[in-house]
Amino acid sequence: MPPERAAAWEALPVDSQVRTTEEEAREGALEGVLAVAGQVGFRAASVRAILDYSGGHRRQFYELFASKEDCFEQAYSTWLARVGAAVLEAAVAAPTWAGSVQAGLGALFEFVSRRPEIARSLFIEVQVARGGALAEHEATMERIATALDSVREQIDADQQPPEATGLFVVGGIEASVCEALTVGDPGRVWDALPELMHLAVGSYLTTADAEAAFEEAKQLLARERGALEGGEAE
Amino acid sequence: MTHLRLIEGEPAEGPFREAPLPQRLPHGRHGIPRDVVHDHQRVRLLAGMAAALEKHGYAGVTTTNVSKCAGISSGTYYKHFGNLWDCLLAAYVTTAERLCASIEAGCAERDPETPPLRAGTAAALELCAAEPASALLLSTQPPIEALAVSTARRQLIARLAGMLRAARDPDQPSSRPSSLDERMIDAALAFVGAQVAAGRAAGLPALTPELTTILTP
Repeated sequence: MPPERAAAWEALPVDSQVRTTEEEAREGALEGVLAVAGQVGFRAASVRAILDYSGGHRRQFYELFASKEDCFEQAYSTWLARVGAAVLEAAVAAPTWAGSVQAGLGALFEFVSRRPEIARSLFIEVQVARGGALAEHEATMERIATALDSVREQIDADQQPPEATGLFVVGGIEASVCEALTVGDPGRVWDALPELMHLAVGSYLTTADAEAAFEEAKQLLARERGALEGGEAE
Repeated sequence: MTHLRLIEGEPAEGPFREAPLPQRLPHGRHGIPRDVVHDHQRVRLLAGMAAALEKHGYAGVTTTNVSKCAGISSGTYYKHFGNLWDCLLAAYVTTAERLCASIEAGCAERDPETPPLRAGTAAALELCAAEPASALLLSTQPPIEALAVSTARRQLIARLAGMLRAARDPDQPSSRPSSLDERMIDAALAFVGAQVAAGRAAGLPALTPELTTILTP
């Protein structure tokens, strides 16, 4: 992963304003519910455990949130927006569609590697929590699929891939994230980058484009890992 | 002596669908062999798990509502399974087996003009459309408490990826990355799960041509 962004997720939430006690309690609980649900599962995540994590008081928790479920929904919305903004920022900076996909995946994987417990809540425990959080999750997946579909402008009418391609590719990306989180080795998600690039690019463009994207992602990983190992050796 | 007679029940989803079984066996002395009763209860519990999951989700599913969906007492539940997750694993494995069997049957019985990949895809989507609860069971990421189901899910994906490779045209050379097929199956499962969760299960068979195209290199 790019070393210059290495600690970015650990610094979140970034907020230049001085917070009131209530804002701090709210922010703490939002992070707490996702962190605890990511560690022990949504079912086992109790308000007590959330408060043990965030340091707030039970009475204040119920002044801010109607329930654990309400807290999870609000936390989900807040953190999904943060992750989405980071992915979008990385993607729009790339000059090509394939470059945007790779950069977006890189930003996503960096988040997954740095905050696996939050990522686990965003991608896996949301299936347990359901409700408004799951609806927001599904809507986000559709928006990402639509963003991937932007490459259709570059494809001839008779070469257009099936309508479901975007959702299919998004499903593949999410499944790879979930797999890395489930086996308890979130850093492993980076191993999927070349194949996911092949899957994404190959689903829309030619086999040659897919193979080129695969090779480029492999080289990127080799460079980043070499840089990390070099840094560690120093 | 009571005659061997099964109480008629409503047609059910899941494992009952292809060979409809009655919902309940008669109470009291009935002369039905013990192993038949045992197997019947187990099948109902596995179907009950899929139904309870569809209704309550992972957050709300309990042994009590699985038993209720199965029409079986909680006491009987614990004669079959030690806890909720044991039953979930058994339901997952059984449903995965049925999915693979459906795909194999779809390929074996296909029209000679129909490519195996399309026939297998059609069989899988038809099963998911007919049994949305089973489709959700197979496609939804299991929670942290059900790690064994995650392992079963990976085994299913590996098996389906093998079937995908076998179903492709062997004359077409492919320089695809080694585990790309596993990622494609994972993507297909996620795609199907999203369709079912959005209430579009009935439309899945119509997506056969699209999904076949996507799965074709």
